[in-house]
Amino acid sequence: MNVRKIVTVVEEIHTEGGREVSRPARVAVVAAVIENPWAGQGFVEDLTPGIDANASDLGALLAPAVLDALESPAEAYGKAAIVGLDGEVEHGSALIHTLKFGDHFRKAANATTLLPAVEKRGPAGIVFDIPLKHITDATIRSHHQSIEVRISDAPHPNEIVIALAAAAQGRPQQRLAPLSTEQ
Amino acid sequence: MQERIKDRPDDSIGLRKLVLYRDVVLTEAGEAPAQPARRASVAAVIRNPWVGVGPSADLSEQQGQVAPVLAKLLTERLIGALGGVDEIESFGKAAIVGTAGEIEHAGALIHTPYFGNLVREFLQGESIICFADTRAEAGETLIVPLWHKTHAATRSHYQTISARVSDAPRADEIVVIAAASTGPRPHPRIGDRMTDPVVSTETLEVVPS
Repeated sequence: MNVRKIVTVVEEIHTEGGREVSRPARVAVVAAVIENPWAGQGFVEDLTPGIDANASDLGALLAPAVLDALESPAEAYGKAAIVGLDGEVEHGSALIHTLKFGDHFRKAANATTLLPAVEKRGPAGIVFDIPLKHITDATIRSHHQSIEVRISDAPHPNEIVIALAAAAQGRPQQRLAPLSTEQ
Repeated sequence: MQERIKDRPDDSIGLRKLVLYRDVVLTEAGEAPAQPARRASVAAVIRNPWVGVGPSADLSEQQGQVAPVLAKLLTERLIGALGGVDEIESFGKAAIVGTAGEIEHAGALIHTPYFGNLVREFLQGESIICFADTRAEAGETLIVPLWHKTHAATRSHYQTISARVSDAPRADEIVVIAAASTGPRPHPRIGDRMTDPVVSTETLEVVPS
């Protein structure tokens, strides 16, 4: 796995809707900019060898890093794969939509649910939103949220940005009725 | 001075959010840098204290109240993100004022001793701090220049970092940014003042016309 750079973003919201947030709301993202393992190979039918060679290492790299950056236990999480223009979205999906990748984060965060994801293709500097949901119950509405990320010089056409996001809480000032009240 | 810098920035400066961006380059042009540098920016989104006051208003009072709090807050976060003040080799600063403000308001927060002197002191630098400023809608990317904190002419440390807050500044807000790096560009090799030949129109064989 050839990693060009690692990017960390931490947002901390102190007021929202004009009111103070009782404990500043933190969301962290750590992204690795890697060479697309299938770059320059034309249409590769079987992605398994590339997945086996990279997905677990990526999960092991990013999961502890994003929890370190958050500096709190994660209550919500999500993931992203942003493929450079010469690759397929399938290449990004291959790296993040496998237990080899996600289990590192689930284990590190004591989580059980599937990680919500964004997959897209674009030029360097593309803006992408990572969706986050609760780590043990994806129906908990208070924790549905997203964070916007941009890396000015990535992904290059032959690269993929792989990212994990973690939130220490739900939305600031969350006050929606739970799903159960509508059932 | 430090006792007078308040601990509750939310109240004292109208702080809405803080955004940290940090990157580390592991390979550049296919090779690992000899000195891998961590670079970071910290952006604070605050209420513009001067919205609606008009161009003749004296900016000094709020400048003295707000800028020192920002200097302390932003440098604390930078130092934390980059592994200690001794690690930091270069620095820069920037501000983006929302569309209901003047560029002068951004300048009032970053171009005076209430910010610059304190950032320099907290980051243990000596150089003038290079800067960028603009007025823009929320989500604008600003390229923040950095140079060496004690030897500004050190060419290896001329670099920039992008800073952007997706939902700021609102029209009545200002984004104030401090940025720093723990080292030079990934593969610096464009010499320095000590190694430069004398270059003038007389020394060049081909003079631009």
